[in-house]
Order: sequence, then C-alpha cells, then structure tokens
Amino acid sequence: MPKWGMVIDLEKCTGCQACTAACAMENSRLPGESWQDVILFTEGEYPSVQIKWFPRPCMQCENPSCVHVCPTRATYKTDQGFVLIDWDRCIGCKYCMIACPYGVRFYTDEKPLAAPDPRKVFKSEDEHSWNPPWKAPQEDWKRGVGIQPRGVVSKCTFCYHRVSKAPKDVPDLSEHDPKTREYTPACVVACPPTARYFGDLDNPDSEVSMMIANKNGIRLLDQLGNKPQVYYLTGSGGAVPSNRAIKKT
Amino acid sequence: MKPDILNNVISRRRFLQVSGLTGAAAASGLTLEQITGNVAAEAKAAAAETKTVITKNVCHQCPARCGIDVYTTDGRVHAIYGSLESPISNGKLCPKGYLGAYLLYDPDRFKGPMKRTNPKKGRNEDPKFVPISWDEALNTVASRLQNLRDKGESHRFALLEGRGWGASDAGLHGTFGKLYGSPNVAIGHSATCADASKKAKLLLDGNYSYNAYDYAHTNYMLILGANFLEAYRPYNTNLQVWGHIRTKSPKTKVTAVDVHWNTTISAADRALVIKPGTDGALALAIAHVILTEGLWDRNFAGDFKDGVNRFKAGAATLDPADFNEKWTKGLIEWWNAELKDRTPKWAAGITTIAEREIVAVARELATTKPAMVLFERGPTAHSNGVYNGMAIHALNALIGSMYAEGGLMNQMGVPYGKLPVKPDDYMDDYAKSEDRKKYPRVDLVKKDWLMASNQSQAVAANHLAGKPYKLDTIMFYMTAPIYSAPEARKWEEALKTLFVIDTSPFPGEIAMFADLVLPDHTYLERLQDAPIYPFQGWPMTTLRVPAVKPLYDTKVYGDTLIEIGKRIKGPMGEYYKALGGTENILKHLAKGFEEKPGDNGVNSFESWKEKGCWFKKPYLWRQVRGEFFEWDGAGYNKPMTPEEVKKRLLKTASGKFEFKASYLENEKYAAYINKHLGVPVERVGFPQWIEPKFYGGGDLHFISPKLPLQAEGRTGNLPHAAAIAQPVVGGRKTVYLEIHPQTAKKRGIGDGDRVRIKSSVGSIEAVARYYQGVRPDTVVLPNIHGHWAQGRWARQNRLPTGSASEIIVNQSEPISGLAAYYATKVTVERV
Repeated sequence: MPKWGMVIDLEKCTGCQACTAACAMENSRLPGESWQDVILFTEGEYPSVQIKWFPRPCMQCENPSCVHVCPTRATYKTDQGFVLIDWDRCIGCKYCMIACPYGVRFYTDEKPLAAPDPRKVFKSEDEHSWNPPWKAPQEDWKRGVGIQPRGVVSKCTFCYHRVSKAPKDVPDLSEHDPKTREYTPACVVACPPTARYFGDLDNPDSEVSMMIANKNGIRLLDQLGNKPQVYYLTGSGGAVPSNRAIKKT
Repeated sequence: MKPDILNNVISRRRFLQVSGLTGAAAASGLTLEQITGNVAAEAKAAAAETKTVITKNVCHQCPARCGIDVYTTDGRVHAIYGSLESPISNGKLCPKGYLGAYLLYDPDRFKGPMKRTNPKKGRNEDPKFVPISWDEALNTVASRLQNLRDKGESHRFALLEGRGWGASDAGLHGTFGKLYGSPNVAIGHSATCADASKKAKLLLDGNYSYNAYDYAHTNYMLILGANFLEAYRPYNTNLQVWGHIRTKSPKTKVTAVDVHWNTTISAADRALVIKPGTDGALALAIAHVILTEGLWDRNFAGDFKDGVNRFKAGAATLDPADFNEKWTKGLIEWWNAELKDRTPKWAAGITTIAEREIVAVARELATTKPAMVLFERGPTAHSNGVYNGMAIHALNALIGSMYAEGGLMNQMGVPYGKLPVKPDDYMDDYAKSEDRKKYPRVDLVKKDWLMASNQSQAVAANHLAGKPYKLDTIMFYMTAPIYSAPEARKWEEALKTLFVIDTSPFPGEIAMFADLVLPDHTYLERLQDAPIYPFQGWPMTTLRVPAVKPLYDTKVYGDTLIEIGKRIKGPMGEYYKALGGTENILKHLAKGFEEKPGDNGVNSFESWKEKGCWFKKPYLWRQVRGEFFEWDGAGYNKPMTPEEVKKRLLKTASGKFEFKASYLENEKYAAYINKHLGVPVERVGFPQWIEPKFYGGGDLHFISPKLPLQAEGRTGNLPHAAAIAQPVVGGRKTVYLEIHPQTAKKRGIGDGDRVRIKSSVGSIEAVARYYQGVRPDTVVLPNIHGHWAQGRWARQNRLPTGSASEIIVNQSEPISGLAAYYATKVTVERV
C-alpha cells in the first residue's frame, strides 16, 4: 500500500504558478478556489530585499486536524494516504477550515471570488454548484472529485482521480515517463522546472524518499504535529517557509 | 456506475433533498431518475471517459509556440497539457497554457460577423452590432477597398498586425499589400515590441534578429531586463531549463539586473537594481574591467601582439596596430573613443549600483566558461536604447560567447515548400505603377524613421494630422494599439474618423470602435502554421489542428483575408482564387518536408498534423575556442573559412563582430543619429553612453512590466488569470502600483490608498501597495489590467482605471523606432 507523498524542490521552483493554473483546469475550480497555490512573501528592506515563495498544495497530513474535527466524518484519510472529503456527508460547517493550519480548504458559497460570479454565468440545472463548458469529465462526490454541490468544503485531492488508477507497485509517478504521466497529479505534470515529485514515502528506495534524504527535506509547521506528506527541499537556496511573524512593510 | 439506490447513490443528504422534491416532482411528472441528476451524470462521466480525443495544437498566449495536447471529451475541450512531442514544451507549459479552454468558451466571444449600427463611437458607446452574413461582410470590405483602388487611393487602406503566427496568416500580408497597392499592408507591431535589441545586434554582428540561446550548457548568465522567470520567451522553456541549470554540476550562476525585485532577480545569485535607462553604463563599465584586468577572451577577440595588456583607465590613446584582432574589429578604436574612461566608479554614480558589485560581476562573467549576456526590452525601451543594447551585446564578444556552446546564436529558417502561385505574376499595371511610390508608409518608416522597420504607434497621430496623408479604412489583426500603444487614447480620436475592421474573436477595445467585425476562430478551432521564434537555433515549425469544430460562425483570419482578396477585380482576385485557402497553403508548405523530413519523421501534411511540429537538430555551426566549425553529421568537425563565417554567422561588412558598426558609416544614417541623439558623426558606430531622456514631466520613473499570467492583451476577461496574477504584492482581482513606503509617505499615501498616476499625456487610477522591493525613485504597475472592454469580467475589473499605456508618452528610440515604454516619469498623488 503506497503512502503517497509529494516533494517540492524550492531550489528549482520559479514561482510561476503553472501548478496553480493546471490544478484549476484539471479540477474545474472556480477562479480563486486555489486548491494549489504559490505563497509569495517579501522580507527585508530596500536595497536588501528578499522575495520568497513556496507552492502550497494540501499537505495530506498523516495526522490531519481537519479529520479530527469533522462532525459528520465527511473528511477522512484513506489507507493510501489521501485526505478526502465526501460531499454527500459534508454539511459545510467549516470547522475543518478553522482547524487546518495550512489554509488549504475552500468554501465558495459565501462570497463569489470573481465578479460577475462564474456560477451565475455557467448555471447548473441540478445540484452541482455550477456547470462550466470546460468541466472535466471525472466526478466522484464521495471523494471530493469534480464540481461540488452547494454548501460543502473542497480541497486538493492529490489528484485522486488520476493517482488511484496508477499501476500497482510503482514507487514514483513522473510526468516525464509516458507510462505514468496520466496518473501523475496535475501540479506535478505542470511544473516546468520539474520542482515537484510524487511517490511512495513508505518505500525507502523511491525517488521521493531519496530526495528527502539527500537534500534535507523538511515539512511546513512541523512543530504542530500534523506530519504532512509534502516535503520541501531547501538545498542551498530557496525559501525556508518561516515561522516568524511576517512584519507588514 | 449502476444506480444502486440502496447504497452509493442515495446518501442521507440527497435522500433529504429528493424527499423534499418528490412531492413537487410528482406534480410535475418527473421520474426519480430525472431528479437524481447526479446518477445520470456519473454514468455519463464513466462512459465519456472512454471517448476522449487528444489533438495537437499550439498555445496562443505568447509567441513561444509551445506544442500542446488538447483533451476533448464528447466534443468539449476540458484540458490542455504541454505535449511531450514538442521540443519546446517537453510536456510542460507556463501558467498561461492552461487558460485555453476558458478562451474557447469565453461567453463574451463574438458569434459571427457583425456591422455597427450606432454611428457614434466612444468608450461608452454601444456599437449596436447587428449580425450579418460572411458574404455581406466580405463584400463590404472588398467594395470599400475596390473603391479606394479605383480612385487611386489604395494607400489609404492600412492593416495593422500584432501577434502574427506564420505563412497562413500574417505571412499573407506582404503579398496582399503588393498586389493591392498599399504600402501599409501590413504595418507590424515590432516597434512596440523589442526592435532596439534586434538593431543593436545588427549593428554589431550583422543579424537583425533576436538570439537563440544554449542555456542548458552555460555556466554563467548576466541578464539585463528580459525578466527571464516571468516573461522572456520562450517562457516555458526558460522555466524548464532553470530547474536544470540551477541543479546541474557545475551550477549555473546568475546575476540579474532590473528596476524592481521580481522573481527573476530574487532567484538569481546576485540582484542588481538599476536606475531605469542606465544599463548601458553598467555594461560599459563591465567591459572596462574585463579589459583592464586582462580577462577578455583572447581566442575570439585577439590580443596585443606582445601579450602585454595596455588597457589602463584613463591612459593615453592606444595604437590599433599593437593589437591582433581575431573575430572582432574596432576594439582599440572603441577603447580609445569610449571605454577608457568608463570606470566602475563612473558607472556607480549613474546606475546607483555599487562599484564593488560592478567589478565582481565583470570578473565572474569573464572568468566563468561558458558565459552569456542577454537583454531585451528593459534596457532598450528608452531614448538611448540601441546604444544601451550595443554596450551590453558587445560583452558577448569580449567573453567569446558568440556561436559557442553555452552561448548565443541565430535561428535557422524552415524549409517550407513554395506556394502554387507567384505574386509577381499577378501584378496589374496599377500595382506596378510608379504612382504607388508617391505614397510613403503612413507610419513614415524610411522617411521620418530612417532606420526603423515599423512605427505603428505613430499611425493614429499621423492620420489625424494628415501627415503624410489621412487614411480611409483600417483593419486590425491581433493588435489593439487603442489599449497597448503609448498614448493609447489618441487612437480613440483616430478611430472615430476611420472605417474600422476588427478581426478579433473577442469584444476588445478595437471592437468598440469597429464598423465591421470579422471574427477569427480562437486558436483551438484553427488550422494554422506557426514557425518558431529564435529558440535554440535549429529550425522548427508548428501546426495548430482544430480540437473542435468552430463553436460559432467565425472564420480563420487567413481565409478572411484570402476571401477579401478574391473579391478584388483583376489579377489580384485571380491570385487569391488560385491560392484557394489556408488549408491549400499549408499543404504546399508541407511539401518542403518531403525532401527534408523532421527528426520526428514528419515529412507530409498528414504527419505534420499528427505530431504538431517539424524540427531538425542540430544548429549547424559552432565557435570553439576561436575557431568556427560546421556540423558534418557526426560533430562540429568541418572548419569554416572566414568567408563562410561572414556568410552564415557574423554578417557584417567585415565578417567580424564590429565594435565600430560599419552599418552606420552610411552618411544618411550617421547624420540622422547626429540630429536625433547629438552623437558626433565620427562616433556613431561605437557602443557608448548616451544620457537617457525622460518624458512626461513627473518625478518618478514609471515602469510597466509583464507578468507570468499576461497572455499579451488577452488576459483581461479571464478571472482565473486575474486570481493568480501579480505575485510580488498580491492581488486577486487587480494589480497594484508598487511604491516604496518612503516615497509614498512623502506624498501622504497610505498602503492601500487609491492613487492617481499622472503624466503629461494622461492619468489613470490604481491602488497603491507599499513594497520594499521597488526603487524609491520608481513606481511599477504591471500592464495586465486596465481594460475597459474585452468582456464582462474585464469590465468589472475596473482598477486600474485604464491601461498603463494611456500615460506613457509616445516617444521612440530614433535608430530602431522602438517605443520608449520605460522612459515616462509620472507623479503619484492620493485620490
């Protein structure tokens, strides 16, 4: 049983947001419903300024805060490491959004993120919250895949609809290998500098495991104990996601 | 997925919904299955997954020509990924590539040809378009053009061209203008693009073009402007190669120069934030250090005959006879005339970059092998732009990067087959008449703009002034100077007095002033060729194949132009009838692949459609330690003679890289430069420092850069793009004016305040954001928003209140004609 994890090499990440754009397309997201996003921040004072950035998917925590607090057990962790949301059970209470330390969960029903609201432009005739002409064919409400109904929380699924079809016993899913490309998460497929990797963290021979070892992979907000399945490689450069309070300049 | 009512499908949630509805349903006659629409949707989704078709196309959001795989299921496009079969994409795309389906299904797209019924034109005037047939639309254009021709006024028809792609669209323009008899078909956009860079390179190495680069093998990059990680094309491949060069052994070191902190200079090893317009001074000082410290590449540039370095700051004039130049010409003359006093200390005072940094960069650049220096608009969209560009490009000769591995080269052409008809066989007496020569181009290229290729940004003002003459009819293809040209608002005046034909699929600013709309397909609906921009030197061309049938009654631009041509009386009409249409053109082009199959086996039209591109590696020439070689099939083994080098590579009069441009020895050119830039005639050929001029009357430099999400002018109506644009100071719906906190506080501007940005030619309003990463003497506003048309999301997104171009003064660098986009100075005040 693979424990799927992601490795993001901050020495290579160019902050271009290709991952963000690909995720929105692959998962038919609303504008701003950034399941994957790149967080940019600025530190320092002119003329010694630093802009830093890091991509932020859902951490698919081993010890997910969201799962602990969900009153209906709508959000759950699978045995392959996915943290998913069952939209048939979710009541949209948003307790999970408050609990998540990483801010990766979305509730799109209060305020439209774009004006005019794309959901009104591309109205749905049924329970789907909207029906855009470019919507992807896959749908699986029990796993939070596809266009959601109204009144539920949504989040990154590690492209469950792709990864779950991967052949068994494959240690890494790479976009460069035509045999595994269609099973690789969209953000990994998209990343132009190949800063993102996806593979089995439980396999010490997998590329992701090797990279974490070779390049000192760290996890975001590790002190909170969520045990993310997303590791960042900072190598000799790249932004170390900081726990310091960022002073607004 | 079977509708198993007791298990998966009916959850507690939907059971409650359904129960509520059942009562109403019973009354309406709906079945349970119809109510539980999700059941049908899920089943359909399962079946549909097996009917996905993947076709090849080419992204449209920048000039790079990234090959894409378009995923269509049940006739709907739902995904685009970079094609593994494109050597530009390599299976990747920049963020813009994923926006394609949103453009295809833009709800505000034009549904077919239309004519204006509201005679009034203005920003707030509804054109009151009514749909017409293609026949009526094409006949209207043709009869208008015919009428002008019959009166001997064909020159009064102008066609402005922006993002042209290849032989089957923009490639048709030259012939159309020739057969029809107008010098204004087409006027290209290049003088609002990066012409100064091309000109600087022409003057030094004889090639009027952008460079191809071998990034993957370089060990040092000095980047001035260009914004490698946000905008420089091919952006996608820049990002790919960045991941490689920054983790390879040895790691490629990067020094990047810009006027504010962006991701490019932040990711570099050294960031140099420079005063706008002064990059030439930096480059000259770097050249000075390289020479005085004896670090120049002797294999390429040569050496003192006795090997003793005589380059000393401020020393006496050197004798060229003491130096043996190899592939360069004029180094000693250049040193004597310009370089000897251009010390790092001097440059520090002008550029505000520390002396120690300038020296450190010069040493790194010259001692790391291989290395390269690249630039584009940033240093050159200024009044002194060509001279800045020359100073920068000259560094490539001093470090020996020309045509070297890990260096720069030029792009090879594509072996297209010939068209079935020759335009010269269809020129009637009118077209051949000497009378045609009486009328210069309306943009006054070759007249007022002696050495420029284009000056589209002058057309509005020239037309209004009637100098050289007034136009009658104007057509736009992939360009909207009414949004993007400096002093954009002047175009609103001009278009009020012209018959305007727009070809965009989208209701942009041109359409608001159009009399006739002949909408193009969006790119996912087109069959169209697109040979690539300079990339890695080896030739490549790409093909768009329609992913879906046209959604609406649109027509691919090439066919629109051909259909107009067919309707012109006489041999011109015969030419276009013989040409047929764009598909016929593409089939003829593809015949060229039969003799020269691509590396991927493409040798026909059908195989070209299947693979999406034709390419043939490698680049055929290389400079190795001062010797030139041609590819012999196995390696760069065949030595080249100086004559061959001159013919293929260093295409100057001397066949060398000229530090004193012989091209400018032309009396007319020298006099022109003397008149417009004040350079003494005997000095015009040298890369040199010219003080930049600034316009607009303000006290802060106004810079408007491009962002990774900026799909040229076509991002305006894409809320997905708006949501993730402008990384450095945030912005989910708009872009902010980057202003240094001290600069803002001095003007009583708080963080987040609405401000007015004003120059002598206009003002716009935006929200200011404090940013430590911008120079205190500069403000930055990305040119991605400010649309007042383009569709419902663009119109809602009304901050900034206008395009940055509205406040940019329309002044151009004289030698190249490049619009000095970054030379405006503004005032900023709280609203």
